[in-house]
Amino acid sequence: MRASPLGALTGVEPPPFNLPGSYFAVALLCLVLGGAGLAVIAPELAQGAYFSPRVTGVTHLFTLGWITTSIMGALYQFFPVALGKEVRWVGLARVTLGFYVPGLFAFVAGMLGAWSSLTVAGALLLGAGVLLFLLNTAFTLKGARRDLTWWALAFAAGFLLLTLVIGGALAANLRWPFMAAARPVALATHLHVALAGWVLLVMVGVAHRLLPMFLLSHGAEERLGRFAVGLLAAGVLGLFSLHHVPSRWARLVPGAAMLAGVVAFLLQARAFYRHRKRPDLDVGMRLAGASLMLLGIGAASGAALLGVGFHHPRAATAYVLTVILGIALFIAAHYYKIIPFLVWYHRFGPLAGRQPVPRVAELFSSRWAGTAAQLLVLGAVGLVSGTWLGSGRVVRIGSIFFLAGVMIESVQMILLSRRRPA
Amino acid sequence: MNEAAAAPDPRTVREALRAVIDPEVGLDIVTLGLVYEVEIEEGTARVRFTLTTPGCPLQGVIVRGVTEAALAVPGIERVEPELVWEPRWNPEMIEEEAWKQR
Repeated sequence: MRASPLGALTGVEPPPFNLPGSYFAVALLCLVLGGAGLAVIAPELAQGAYFSPRVTGVTHLFTLGWITTSIMGALYQFFPVALGKEVRWVGLARVTLGFYVPGLFAFVAGMLGAWSSLTVAGALLLGAGVLLFLLNTAFTLKGARRDLTWWALAFAAGFLLLTLVIGGALAANLRWPFMAAARPVALATHLHVALAGWVLLVMVGVAHRLLPMFLLSHGAEERLGRFAVGLLAAGVLGLFSLHHVPSRWARLVPGAAMLAGVVAFLLQARAFYRHRKRPDLDVGMRLAGASLMLLGIGAASGAALLGVGFHHPRAATAYVLTVILGIALFIAAHYYKIIPFLVWYHRFGPLAGRQPVPRVAELFSSRWAGTAAQLLVLGAVGLVSGTWLGSGRVVRIGSIFFLAGVMIESVQMILLSRRRPA
Repeated sequence: MNEAAAAPDPRTVREALRAVIDPEVGLDIVTLGLVYEVEIEEGTARVRFTLTTPGCPLQGVIVRGVTEAALAVPGIERVEPELVWEPRWNPEMIEEEAWKQR
């Protein structure tokens, strides 16, 4: 038998509870606001008015507020697990939030109120926060073992920077218009670099480590994950490099590569689910499975639109909504895994071996979690189908279901964060 | 108390380690097949164990739990937990009966 190469029995320590916890609290607040915002913008969604400032504002509550803030908090917790290295600077991670959160809310308020100066000021603060996060991430990745997860996170970090560059240009364009007819292309590039380059690559990298742990599917074929990283990275790089080229092929080839990357990721996730030793899926893994199906539907819509063009506003809006909701639900699913684990680790873990401790699943009500998951999925289906159909009423009903699911999950997370040993 | 009764048994320590759970899976580390070997020599328990995956976030908790649980066995004065990665753990190592009964 070979002893641990680290030779250490205590291992790399995770960050203090309140570091990821503060990011998760902000993210949950944004999810609640975004969920409520969906009901408000239901008419615009049903018209496919994706250029509307209100739609853009609510979209950023999801993409920046819920998705990116969650990823940042989760990565600070995940680095020791995936890379065997603690986050380089815990203090900088706290400072990052100090720039990011006011910037985010100023940016979104600027969008919603059509106050371009506030939008630009928010974008600057937000951008500073993202740059600090990227600096911390780069120094954490430096010197770590380079496996699939490392490459996925490294590419994702690079694409977050590109997202920021294009997003900054789009924000500046609101105050000092200079893009003219190039704006739709810049917007589509910003969106796809953000979703496929930043978010999906993080999902691929993180899922590659976490899904086998959660499902006990060690030994499953892992080649598809490598394809997913390569194809997504190549597709996003191609899209960014060629976005200004006025040729159909400049969209088709990178688009096809990104789609193939998404398909590879979904097939990899399916392999983990099928190979699992745990026969029963908990609520987190059930919701994650549903979210991946939604992502699959989003990818299929994207493939169809890639063929016929993104000219139909409602179809384009429904496609983007499907992908964003799929990702949002994937993250909501992982909150049912990450937050209970964090609470257990910091509050109950020190008692292990000394007195009986609850299981992670016993820290919250599975029944309520199941209800939340069903409402979230129903809501997402209503939102997407209402947008496709052009029915503001269906979109609004979907948004109410979605918000109800969000509220239940948020209350559960607040109650969970207060759990302590008796 | 006679000499034989006072000497701790590796099986007793192994049973005591069932107090340490993987909170995510919901099984104890013995049932999970994570404990490879327990040796006892002059009041020192040497526990060779593994984790479900390298980089498992529970590493510190399980090491502390193994130490605490083994120290609770009468006659054990010192614990030497040894984390090993070979043989690599896989789900087939789970005690099948316990898995079915959960």
